Amino acid sequence: MKDRIPVLGLFFGVFLGAGTGYSAQELAGGASAALDGRTLRVLCLELLGRPPLPEEWERWLGRPRAEYLDSTIGSKAFWEHWYEEQLYYFLLINNFRPAQDRQIAIPADLAAQRCSVREALHRIALSSSFDLRNPGADTFVTVVLEQIAGLDITRSQRELEIGKRVYDGGSGVFLGTQGASQADVVRNAVMSRSSVQHFLRREYERLLHVKPDAAALPVWIARLEKEPLAYGELLREWCTSPAFDARVARGETLENRAFVRALFVDLAGRLPRFEEAEPMREALDALADSTPLRSLSARMLLDSGKLALPKKQELANREAWVRERYLRLLGRAPTAEQLADALALLEAPEGRVETLLYALVSSPEYNRS
Amino acid sequence: MSLDRREFLKWSAAAGAAASLSGYLSAQQKPGAQKAAKRKTEHLVLIAFAGGVRTRETFGTPANVPVMVSMAEEGVLFPRARTANLGHFGAALSIFTGNAEQRGIRENVRGKDVTLFEYLRKDLGWGPNEAWIATSGGAQQVNYAYGLHPEYGPQYGANTLDGEGIFNREFKQLIETWGRPREMPPREKELLQRVRRGLAGDAATQGAEQVERFLLEELTRGTSDLTGANASDAKALRVARNLLTLFRPRLTAVVLQDADIAHGNYNGYLEVVRRNDAAIGELLEAVRQNPQLNGRTSFLIVPEFGRDSDLNSRRGLDHGDGSDDLRFVTCLGWGPDFRRGSVVQEEVGVVDVAPTVCELFGAKARFARGKRLPGLFA
Repeated sequence: MKDRIPVLGLFFGVFLGAGTGYSAQELAGGASAALDGRTLRVLCLELLGRPPLPEEWERWLGRPRAEYLDSTIGSKAFWEHWYEEQLYYFLLINNFRPAQDRQIAIPADLAAQRCSVREALHRIALSSSFDLRNPGADTFVTVVLEQIAGLDITRSQRELEIGKRVYDGGSGVFLGTQGASQADVVRNAVMSRSSVQHFLRREYERLLHVKPDAAALPVWIARLEKEPLAYGELLREWCTSPAFDARVARGETLENRAFVRALFVDLAGRLPRFEEAEPMREALDALADSTPLRSLSARMLLDSGKLALPKKQELANREAWVRERYLRLLGRAPTAEQLADALALLEAPEGRVETLLYALVSSPEYNRS
Repeated sequence: MSLDRREFLKWSAAAGAAASLSGYLSAQQKPGAQKAAKRKTEHLVLIAFAGGVRTRETFGTPANVPVMVSMAEEGVLFPRARTANLGHFGAALSIFTGNAEQRGIRENVRGKDVTLFEYLRKDLGWGPNEAWIATSGGAQQVNYAYGLHPEYGPQYGANTLDGEGIFNREFKQLIETWGRPREMPPREKELLQRVRRGLAGDAATQGAEQVERFLLEELTRGTSDLTGANASDAKALRVARNLLTLFRPRLTAVVLQDADIAHGNYNGYLEVVRRNDAAIGELLEAVRQNPQLNGRTSFLIVPEFGRDSDLNSRRGLDHGDGSDDLRFVTCLGWGPDFRRGSVVQEEVGVVDVAPTVCELFGAKARFARGKRLPGLFA
């Protein structure tokens, strides 16, 4: 279905986009548009949590956005990133990261369509990590109500008290369904309608960094409730919408976890290993303003001697190399002045390739993709 | 960037002096700043003894907290400080905003209210390194640095540093693997600045470079190696101690969290309380040994809320029974401007801390609902 949506959209223009706040032409236009550097970089960061790898730049730049989305949404890499984002949302990180097979299998099961996003959330909330992270009846039920059902706890005190009783093995109607165990607390919350609304709202905000259109949300909820595996299709619509184009044009602060992966991809041409990424992400998260540590991390990586960077003497065409760095790191071409500055740096005996890369990755623009 | 300890101390002293001077000059130009009463306090350490700590295990059992008991003998104790069970995050945030903050327990976003850091930095013109928070609870706690109020915000926020997060052993190992960055020759730095100006204008921040240096030094010290039941809290308190003695910021806040182990381990909770008291003792001793801090530094210590009256089925202590053990905690004030050996039985609130700190320095927490702590000042 998802492969056919843009085509269907062209033929049934009125239908596609109904209730989403976007016209069919707008959605179809976004889907068929050729990928420029900035859009490709942002799409990759949002959907995979990293910039494009070198081979992906070669493959996708200038190709229709729809092709990229078809290839990416639903892939194993996509679901792996989605799973990591959910763990981060529930703050199941560091010592609370789930290590059980049933949770680890979630991305593969999603990619194979063996489970839906709702079932995936259910599994996460049933993990011992979730229980350890939220110890005690009061904390556990509060978190379930807030993070899964999306309810305001100050207005849900009655539900909280019922939930605590159910958590402790007592009987009660929690979120509209009978329950008598901690597992029932989770199940009832995941199966509630408000959980779908909350999930779609936060996912939209995570990806587009704005609140969803109030008129569109009920349509998406109805669709996901009817078709549990339709999340990818909704996502595809979001990523071809004018709102996504506005997000690309606006730029958004790069989250620390994305910054770490971006730094390795952009400087080392590879993803960081888990034991590289997590300590750095954790350290960056430790600062309200992580700019100084981002800068320090970039310098340490660049000066480590462990990157396969070219020597400037080896660059046959320095201007082309600079232009390519700007495209891949900032998603755009340098201005004439920026190009001149970069070439002057490389021309000077003291200027190094590392110095230029350091300037780029420590710039506010890089940190706001 | 090789920088030996002597150079670092010299640099940080100069940076501190420059920051203080700029803060002083800015304060002269701030029409909104309150005329402060003549105070001896130049530095304040504000410790949110958080994670949920009952008075029963602190001042109710003096043997657990000999340091704080001795401070109480020289300071002021408020045994009836009302709290709100808003979850650790919201309740601790209330200490910094002076308003009861209803936040989701795992909500990882900033509050809407103004923090005391913002009041102080904006009203008094403090520089970026005059207000710090060292935390122990991970990513969520960096949100204490500033709120989303349109008149304040990030430009007036505190530098927040989570001890457990940044000083994790794995990150230290990573740094050891990569090695320290090389010292950049002046000419190369010029070229770098030229490219940077072309990219972002003259927005390069001196403050960020200072923090970058501090982090590099701190990362190679022993903070990452701290272990034990209160390892995260110990790191936060160690960071606070090093910040205080190197930068001498006007306000150093610390947010502890390890006591929450009490949900499933009462004895572990007691151990955390004892160890944190001892670590506060080290911080206090560092202040006393430093001639530029001794006699000019005050402390305020307060939990965000207590814990249930009775043990749960796991022989731990939750926080949700609405009892007085949960709702009332003990707040401690110690310093040159505070009364000595005084116990204020009047009911106060943890939300009174932020307005009190602001008043101490001559600012006004104008959006806070809390009031000045009664009977604190001499």
